[in-house]
Amino acid sequence: MSEDVIFSPLKFRNLTVKNRIFRSNISGRFDNEDGSLTQTRINWECKFAAGGVGAIISSYVPVLMEGRIIADYATVHRDDFIPLWERLGAAVHRFDCKYIMQLSHSGRQMDFPGVHNSHRPALSSTSRKESLHGFLCRAASKAEIDHLVEAFAAGAWRAREAGLDGVELHAANGYLFTQFLSSGINDRTDEYGGLLQNRARFLLEVIRAIRARVGRGFHLQVKLSAVDRNNVIPWEKKGNVLADTIEVAKWCESEGADAIHVSTGSLFPHPLNPPGDFSFETIATTYDAMISSGVDAFRNFLLFRYRLLRPIFRWIWFRMKKGLPIEGVSLEEARAIKANVTVPVLNTGGYQTASFIRSGITSGAFDGVAIARSLVANNDLVQQWAMGRDLPERPCTYCNKCLLNAPKNPMGCYELARFPSREAMIDELMTIYATRPTLNLPPVASAQAA
Amino acid sequence: MTAEPPVTYVETQLRRRRRLLLPVAIVLALLALIGLVVVVLGLVAVMRLAVNRPQVFPDIVAHFEHGSIGADQSSGIPFWVWQALPRLFPAEFDGRLDYRAFGFLYNTDAHGRQESLPIGISKRDFQGVDLVWFNCAVCHTGTYRTSEGAARVMVPGMPSNNLNLYGFIRFILDAGVDERLKPDRLIPAMQAAGANLGIIDRQVWRFVVIPRMREGFIERRSRLQPFLAEQQPWGPGRVDTFNPYKLVQMDMLLGAIAPDERHGASDFPSIFNQKPREGMQLHWDGNNSSLDERNLSAALGAGVTPETVDHAAIKRVKEWVGELHPPRSPHQVDPAAAERGRAIYMNACAVCHGYQGPDRYVFEGAKLGTVEANSTLGTDPGRLDSYTEAFRQRQLAELFAGTPFQFKHFVKTNGYANMPLDALWLRGPYLHNGSVPTLRDLLAPPAERPSAFVRGIDIVDGKNGGFLSPSCTPGRRPPQGFCYDTRLPGNGNGGHTFGTTLPATEKEDLIAYLLTF
Repeated sequence: MSEDVIFSPLKFRNLTVKNRIFRSNISGRFDNEDGSLTQTRINWECKFAAGGVGAIISSYVPVLMEGRIIADYATVHRDDFIPLWERLGAAVHRFDCKYIMQLSHSGRQMDFPGVHNSHRPALSSTSRKESLHGFLCRAASKAEIDHLVEAFAAGAWRAREAGLDGVELHAANGYLFTQFLSSGINDRTDEYGGLLQNRARFLLEVIRAIRARVGRGFHLQVKLSAVDRNNVIPWEKKGNVLADTIEVAKWCESEGADAIHVSTGSLFPHPLNPPGDFSFETIATTYDAMISSGVDAFRNFLLFRYRLLRPIFRWIWFRMKKGLPIEGVSLEEARAIKANVTVPVLNTGGYQTASFIRSGITSGAFDGVAIARSLVANNDLVQQWAMGRDLPERPCTYCNKCLLNAPKNPMGCYELARFPSREAMIDELMTIYATRPTLNLPPVASAQAA
Repeated sequence: MTAEPPVTYVETQLRRRRRLLLPVAIVLALLALIGLVVVVLGLVAVMRLAVNRPQVFPDIVAHFEHGSIGADQSSGIPFWVWQALPRLFPAEFDGRLDYRAFGFLYNTDAHGRQESLPIGISKRDFQGVDLVWFNCAVCHTGTYRTSEGAARVMVPGMPSNNLNLYGFIRFILDAGVDERLKPDRLIPAMQAAGANLGIIDRQVWRFVVIPRMREGFIERRSRLQPFLAEQQPWGPGRVDTFNPYKLVQMDMLLGAIAPDERHGASDFPSIFNQKPREGMQLHWDGNNSSLDERNLSAALGAGVTPETVDHAAIKRVKEWVGELHPPRSPHQVDPAAAERGRAIYMNACAVCHGYQGPDRYVFEGAKLGTVEANSTLGTDPGRLDSYTEAFRQRQLAELFAGTPFQFKHFVKTNGYANMPLDALWLRGPYLHNGSVPTLRDLLAPPAERPSAFVRGIDIVDGKNGGFLSPSCTPGRRPPQGFCYDTRLPGNGNGGHTFGTTLPATEKEDLIAYLLTF
């Protein structure tokens, strides 16, 4: 057994992961319009499993079609998708890698509504439009909230039935749970709004429902934004502070959560999540795909597209980053939460340096880290660490071009400087599309066959 | 055609938002349009208001006659009003469409056509309106004829012996309150005179230019009219230099001017040969020894203000008149008599006045250019008394104070300056107030000098010196010219009795010599 704490197993109540490195939730538009996953997704996840991470937290998986963030992402809203997820789980397990499905609902933060959702407002805690893009929404009724709770429970059950290793509730980064939790967003006056206990009610009801459905023996973790910093658009309210999230984390643990995954920010993307640069040249070429998604998206497109206007958005975006590091941007917040709960705490936010992670674990800031971009840049990051490197040979530059290409292009690393040529970059992007000859032939009606 | 329904919820909401915001957008667009129009009009107005462009004349004589010294900007009237006035007030202009009725002189162009503006009037485009008013030449350009039928010769630099400045100023002030200057009558008259005014220009003239002009007239009239009404008409070739100056430049009220100060009317001086005069006591009463200050003071009289005065333009005139020589006397005299007269003159007169040499005037004489106490001279004190120590103090404090142009050389004197007598043949009538018509009369005892005579005839008098000046009866208008009455305040013809006791033959010789000046 390795003496390196990074490679020491992390034991949860119902799950043991071989090391402290989790692939954080990240994906591309790999799947089918109906929500069924594809070979491409299996290829994508296996890249990281093969690279040595202890567990993969799936990308965002909607429990309902009306809760998709982006169309063409795999969902878990149907029982007949269980075999598909089972296949994916099996593929990952071959690498001694655990697979945790992130159960999610977009709420109003719906980037690409797709054919299922474009005709209606998204459900949310509020009827106020989303602040950055102007996504439209409608406050859910009590009956609709009950329906949502049940959908999450069903999603967890399907994950367990598929043989996956656990679920994570995506209660961070501005999605539906955040929309209930955040005092900067939730403007309800019923039992789901107002006091923190009320705002947390929906999340806690979901945890209770999942536990009721799948029992205590199935791993369940909750991803929370430690601090909302909801005032990215300057006139918005700031939202929850750390003390609020510590309370919520404690309540989650009480209701049966097995781990807390700490992130930051009440919308996605947020200046601090993912931390790093913002490539105007990239977003100017991809954001047009989102213009029809929100009532303020065209305004943003103009701000991105025209150099004279860029300083406006640059000021909005970069003013919150001042004085904060990229790697471990919310480390201290994770430490504060860990000090208040007994379950393991994961932290995400630009981790890439082995010694830094090691120090975070040994100093009690967190028990493990969830990484997305650095692993996209170097799928074998964990193996490089195992071989003694502290930083990979060609580290992630935190350029965020992977994120900003997402509206239009395949998920992957777009930092040309990291590749010998453009062709090499494209080749790398294309590796996940390697198909295998197991395509099924659609059935033929008997009359036609005759 | 029915609009196609929106495909997405976002489009539905955007369409609703557009529908709700349409009235606001229309209002904003209208406001933006109005704002744009206002900005454009504002820019046009600013560009127009920024215009301050005098006419520039490379030729020095043209500059003297029509170049601006800044009076047009501060005191001027619009060119098209100037052109319209003869049409509106035909009686005052003797039915002519020019200003000859007031003694203004005109040049003719290469085709023999009379120029539109008389000599001594400059023109400046100020804030989009052409303004016209006086320059130096208005008071310092005269004419002479050698006989009744001879051609009239115009002489830049000689006193403006034709100009009826008093009559002109009174006319302008009265016109300001005359209903004929209401826009409804003035604008058509301007158009009849050739003004081409568009719709906007007509409104600008109706509501801005003409009301402002009339206000200016009324204000100036309220200052000057009581004074002018009290004074007798000055007659052609004369001006009261300092009293209008007190009323207009100093904003003094008539009551603040003592009764014995109020009769300062004097002859326009000639302005030949100015350079040799530097350092002499200038002005009739010798109250300033600086040519520059004398010039600047005269410019104020013409209508400039400390803010509008064009020092460079005045300097250009100064340099030119510094060496401007008068035309030679055309009088034919007996050389022997003139030679005898010269001896008399050199013995008795040259010390005060310098003398005429064979080719040029000689500015030498122990007392030349100094002030002779009026207790000795005994000429009319009106001009002397019109300049006071109190006024000097105000000049010092209020005009160009703190600038290099401050009036530091003015003094209050007790008499009149001994003038050089260059171009004497063009300077009649004589003495500072023009009260003695000819040189011969000046050599006569005061009691024998004409008590009333005609001024304004420009035929030189080859026998007596000066211009033909027939006697006249005060109160009766002579067939031509103006009847000057020496018995009126300021018009007295006494004093300067030098030479009056010479024997008749010596007087003839002296006159023969003086006719060569």
